[in-house]
Amino acid sequence: MKPEKIIAEITLSGLRGRGGAGFPTGLKWQLVRNAMSSNGGQKYIVCNGDEGDPGAFMDRSILEADPHSVIEGMVIGAKAIGATAGFVYVRNEYPLAVERLSIALKQARAYGLLGQDILGTGFDFDIQIKRGAGAFVCGEETALIASIEGRLGEPRPRPPYPAQRGLWGMPTCINNVETWANVPIIINRGAKWYSSIGTKTSKGTKVFSLVGKINNTGLVEVPMGISLKEIIYDIGGGIPGGKAFKAVQTGGPSGGCIPKEKIDLPIDYESLSEAGSMMGSGGMVIMDEDTCMVDVARYFLTFTQDESCGKCTPCREGTKAMLEILTRITEGKGTPEDLTLLEDLAHSIKDTALCGLGKTAPNPVLTTLRYFRNEYETHIQDKKCPAHVCRPLNVYTIDPGLCLSQGHGCDVCRRNCSSEAIAGQKNEAHAILRDKCIKCGVCYDVCAFGAVKVD
Amino acid sequence: MVNLTIDGKKVEVDEGSTILQAAKKAGARVPTLCFHPVIEPYAACRVCVVEVAFRGKNDLLTSCNTKVEDGMDVRTASERALRARRLNVEMLLARAPAAEPLREIAKELGIEKPRFPVKDPDEKCILCGLCVRACEQIVGACAISFIERGTDRHVSTPFGEESEACIGCTACAHFCPTGAITVEDKYGRKVIHDEMLLGPTTAIRVPIRQAVPMVPFIDKEACIHFKTGECKVCAKVCDRDAVNHKMEDTIQEIEAGSIIIASGFKTFDPRRIPAYGYGRFPNIITAMEFERLVNASGPTGGKVLLANGEEPKSVGIIHCVGSRDENYHAYCSRVCCMYSLKFAHLLGEKTKATIYDFYIDMRCFGKGYEEFYHRLLKEGTKFVRGRVSEISTLALTEKEEGKLIIRVEDTLLGAVRRISVDMAILAVGLEPGIDHNRLAKTFNISCSQDTFFLERHPKLAPVSSFSDGIFLAGTCQGPKDIPDTVAQAGAAAAEALALADLGKVELEPITAVIDDKLCSGCQICVGLCPFTAITHEKDKGISVINDALCKGCGTCVAACPSGASYQKHFRDEQIFAEIEGIFLI
Repeated sequence: MKPEKIIAEITLSGLRGRGGAGFPTGLKWQLVRNAMSSNGGQKYIVCNGDEGDPGAFMDRSILEADPHSVIEGMVIGAKAIGATAGFVYVRNEYPLAVERLSIALKQARAYGLLGQDILGTGFDFDIQIKRGAGAFVCGEETALIASIEGRLGEPRPRPPYPAQRGLWGMPTCINNVETWANVPIIINRGAKWYSSIGTKTSKGTKVFSLVGKINNTGLVEVPMGISLKEIIYDIGGGIPGGKAFKAVQTGGPSGGCIPKEKIDLPIDYESLSEAGSMMGSGGMVIMDEDTCMVDVARYFLTFTQDESCGKCTPCREGTKAMLEILTRITEGKGTPEDLTLLEDLAHSIKDTALCGLGKTAPNPVLTTLRYFRNEYETHIQDKKCPAHVCRPLNVYTIDPGLCLSQGHGCDVCRRNCSSEAIAGQKNEAHAILRDKCIKCGVCYDVCAFGAVKVD
Repeated sequence: MVNLTIDGKKVEVDEGSTILQAAKKAGARVPTLCFHPVIEPYAACRVCVVEVAFRGKNDLLTSCNTKVEDGMDVRTASERALRARRLNVEMLLARAPAAEPLREIAKELGIEKPRFPVKDPDEKCILCGLCVRACEQIVGACAISFIERGTDRHVSTPFGEESEACIGCTACAHFCPTGAITVEDKYGRKVIHDEMLLGPTTAIRVPIRQAVPMVPFIDKEACIHFKTGECKVCAKVCDRDAVNHKMEDTIQEIEAGSIIIASGFKTFDPRRIPAYGYGRFPNIITAMEFERLVNASGPTGGKVLLANGEEPKSVGIIHCVGSRDENYHAYCSRVCCMYSLKFAHLLGEKTKATIYDFYIDMRCFGKGYEEFYHRLLKEGTKFVRGRVSEISTLALTEKEEGKLIIRVEDTLLGAVRRISVDMAILAVGLEPGIDHNRLAKTFNISCSQDTFFLERHPKLAPVSSFSDGIFLAGTCQGPKDIPDTVAQAGAAAAEALALADLGKVELEPITAVIDDKLCSGCQICVGLCPFTAITHEKDKGISVINDALCKGCGTCVAACPSGASYQKHFRDEQIFAEIEGIFLI
């Protein structure tokens, strides 16, 4: 196949970037192919394997189980855009992936599938492994380039896009592991076959990592356009313990929470964006009724705040400010003004942050505010956490009747209380001393008779 | 050219311009923090965000790095842009409340106190990265960088230790907009970069304040570009593209009809008189150093101060340092008496110090000079007649402790005195300038006993040298003051003009000639000729005299071993005939 034909095939297949943003792969390849290289033709391709979303391990599974598919995809891509060198940027926390990829590269070279004059076609291409040092932001393409070049892993403003000026100033095509792995199948079975799967705008299949409050956790590969309901109930086997489904968080720390009202949402790039979330790299965290949405937002903010490179003001200072407000709310110290400020901050950060990490960091806050605003209000106004997750807001009491009739004053709670906040002795009804209780919840957890109530 | 709208105003700017540049052209003020015109935009502070409507999209973009495009509709102060800008400034203010430029922008945007918790009220660093980028892009040293991430991010050297890559240029401190980087006090001197910019170590400067032409030059020793290959900030900020880092010193050959030599003088180095303690004790300075000290553009702004920063309570001015001294120069340098009197006058004006003036004779020869001396006598300067023998710090009494002790024979008193002062000024004499001997050789100028250039005749040709068309002016011919120098220079110029006006050169009628039949080509005459009038012609194997240059001195005639060289009108035969004639009478 001629390079133009390869790109036409990929374009026709409708393959879009699996890293999250969903940029049409064929178009990206065409841009890099058309881009002029300053030193007469040098172009690079990069495989982004810096998978950092909490609870996501799609790329890892591909690199560990079938690294050849990625190598093959990259060789095809290199031929299409005219690159002579490729890099696989993979997290150092994936030692097995690095090991297996190295073996695969060696094998590919031994078979003449990599290196000088591949299969006698006169085409030269080789791949190098670059290991990341554990910064989440290096999954952002410009930061990833800086990291490969040996500079500080922080993003730079785009444009120029890597397709125009990437690695060492040369046109560079960066695709995610899963995207590269999709390429050989498209070339093998044709764009028509591939595009027959999926929706109008999102073609093919996508791997999701299904985690959280769900019976069958693990990786699932589903055709685009499948509904959330099918994934959660048909594939995932529903929520354990007969609990009610509350929301699903997609797209990792950059994504958002989709409430149970939208359970029939078909999974594709556009519908997820419309719902305020995003496809992301494919993390899917299922949450049941026992989940506090404010706490979920706070959790993700802790992650992004910690992983912000600190270059631009909104991301560095803004995520910290949002986290402080969310922490205040979960501790029962929130005020109605906090909610306004939180919203202002979220919009402003989304508007003005420099890179994708910052721009999407407020998504967990924005979506939970959109779908679960009442939970925030309950936290602020009533100083209550409906899911009883935010412990400082909980009020623990002991039902004296239950304690005595069911447990005969078993005294387990008193013995486990670290702050001596429980009064009573064996065969007597126990009671919690409010002024001493530190709301650790141990009594609630240890009471076998359900006598400890939380409100 | 690109056409766009800024706040409803149509502007046309060059292709490749940024929105910030276009906004400036349109008269819209967009505040910036991490931007500097000579450093690549970083787009980190996000304070310069503006709302841009373009191709159906409405985005907030940073104006410092976004390039303009045809049809952009930019609103620098839209509600959305202002809200985001305010919030970003407010967050930064909570981080660095002591940063002055940030506080100004905050005030402008109506932010009084940030709503976010302030961690350190004295923090000045706004993490704009200008220092890091200056070190990398301008200096090329890469000695500092950001370390840690998120809110822990800060600027540091590798491992927080003294960086080996640092060349000590202090560019980081210079570019820091908030003063968060201070320069350390090292080598007993506070090095502040702004001061260095004005001082003598700046890489671009005019050689001296009175330089002609008044043109700055780049000092390769101090220039960062010649150390690291980077920087070139001067070239970036120069509107006229006048800075050229590739320019080298060139040697130019100029053809001229006449030459006026005015190569000047240098001052006597007082280290040669160890007894005067110059260079060994503090507060002993030369006349030139005192001139720099009292100059309003000098290091102290014109204040007369001691090395410890205090004003002197007593000052001694010592005349004839290196002049009128058999051990150094026997001649009188002519200018020292008068400038010493000037110093005494200036000291009286600027300080309350007691002024001693140690002189041998007071040589106030010029117009109004004697009157000035009398004025000084009235002003209270203490004149001590006698040559100073020694300046030391060896105190004999408690009063002399910590002072400079001047030992002098007061010839009017007939006694040796010890006078203690805080500061001693050495009135150093004049010596022929640097390269004096080389010039003498090049131009064939004779020197008198005092090593100054010798004029052709002290009374009849005081500005001419022995070579036609070469004239002398100023102190290269002998010590003299400014009025005398100007007068002599005028005379030399007039002589040169007279020569040019004549349009022809009068030749000596009596010159030497070399008989080519007798010349053996030994070239003895070539080396001896003081006027370089003889050249050796290799192909013919003989030496030839240039009639236009020969002055008829006869040196070659006397020296020629084969008798090939002869003087017109003074041939051997003619001389012999004359002798014969005398005897015949």
